[in-house]
Amino acid sequence: MRAAKLLAGLAAAVLLHLAGTRLWPSFPQHVDVFLVVVALSALEGSSLPALLFGLLAGLVQDTLTSGPFGLFGFADTAVAYGMARLAQRLVIQRATGVFAVVSFASLLQQVILAALAFLLLPNPSLPDPLGMLGQALAKAVACGSLGMLVYGLAGRFRLAIEARRRGRMGRLRLG
Amino acid sequence: MDERRTGYLLTVLLLGQLVLVAIEGARSTRSHTYAEVLGLRILGPAARLVSIAGGGAAEVGHKVRLQGQLLDENRRLHREVEELRLRLLRLGDIEQELARLGDAVRYSAPLLGEIRAVDVVYADHASWLRSLVLYTGSRAAAVNQPVLSPAGLVGRVVVVAGPYAKVQLVTDRAASVGGMILRTRRQGVVRGSGQEGGGLSLDYVSLAADVRPGDSVLTAGIDGVYPRGIPVGTVVAVEAGGQLFHKIRLAPAVDLGALDQVYLLEHAAPPQELVKAIPHARR
Repeated sequence: MRAAKLLAGLAAAVLLHLAGTRLWPSFPQHVDVFLVVVALSALEGSSLPALLFGLLAGLVQDTLTSGPFGLFGFADTAVAYGMARLAQRLVIQRATGVFAVVSFASLLQQVILAALAFLLLPNPSLPDPLGMLGQALAKAVACGSLGMLVYGLAGRFRLAIEARRRGRMGRLRLG
Repeated sequence: MDERRTGYLLTVLLLGQLVLVAIEGARSTRSHTYAEVLGLRILGPAARLVSIAGGGAAEVGHKVRLQGQLLDENRRLHREVEELRLRLLRLGDIEQELARLGDAVRYSAPLLGEIRAVDVVYADHASWLRSLVLYTGSRAAAVNQPVLSPAGLVGRVVVVAGPYAKVQLVTDRAASVGGMILRTRRQGVVRGSGQEGGGLSLDYVSLAADVRPGDSVLTAGIDGVYPRGIPVGTVVAVEAGGQLFHKIRLAPAVDLGALDQVYLLEHAAPPQELVKAIPHARR
């Protein structure tokens, strides 16, 4: 059941990424939908599924970029594991907590990507450090906001389902 | 699985991917893995679906808005087609004359081949690792096949997965093209800057060479991938880069943000004499 939920989340991320890029060409530059899904799945707290899902989501993202295959795979695997370990130590119940964690995950991912590009690629041509920092912060805020929104909507959906189930049980008892 | 074993698995996965990225990064030419081809086969149809849905919705809105202008445009296009037909006739004459002159001096023109229109189903030209995914239909593309637009060079195919192909854009940080300044025929190497805005640079042009802003740069046909004469960009700035070479910045000839259809250049088969003389020659 959990695996199906994760795969559905990944499929939704792919569709959102493709549609976002189609409607707004600089969408991937400002929001990383895959990272948001990876970070949210890692918040469940179990590190093995989180890291495997991070690997899968990262490789999917690698398929859509022109960089070396495995660049996002590496970054997302590391971020997913880190976030899962963090979630084991923290109790995150508020949407603002989710915002902070997802934003942090986004920053961590961008640092890993920049470090990998700098160390392993022959001609990394990264933007100037100040511009890169500004861009990374803006992306982290956007990812955090999207994560908070998805978390809030998922919570509401869960509550609605629960209320409906309780209502049905109540009617059954009366009957 | 306990945390210690998960930690071991994490280490193995990260090391494996690190090696993969390091190997790919060190290669001079872009290669592909089976996982990437498989991924493109799975994601390609999704990208095409989104592209068709987005294109369809945009087209309906566009048609509704522009219905009144369509008749005028149709008339104007008819006139343009007539003019182009006449021009084509004149160009046909010139082409034949050139071929006759070429025969007279025993010169054979470079092999250009034919072009084929294909759809762009996914384009990310803005982010740091930019890419383009094409739907080529029943006739698959080939790795290293040049990709063009009416304005000039777009890039080359780097991964083929059935009817889908991933393109390395000319502005990609790893792309390099043999270039030539049209005015002076001076050759150099055009590289993608990978920077925001997608600029290009023309490297290895000596300080003694005459280069001016506004000069057009075409493919030189020396890299074994692109034939000669395709517009690549225009010189926007020339600076003294070092003791030997100019630092030349180019604006790409193609607006990579506005591509919904591109052309694949189908290479003509190399002459039999060349294949016999150099069995490993690509073109």
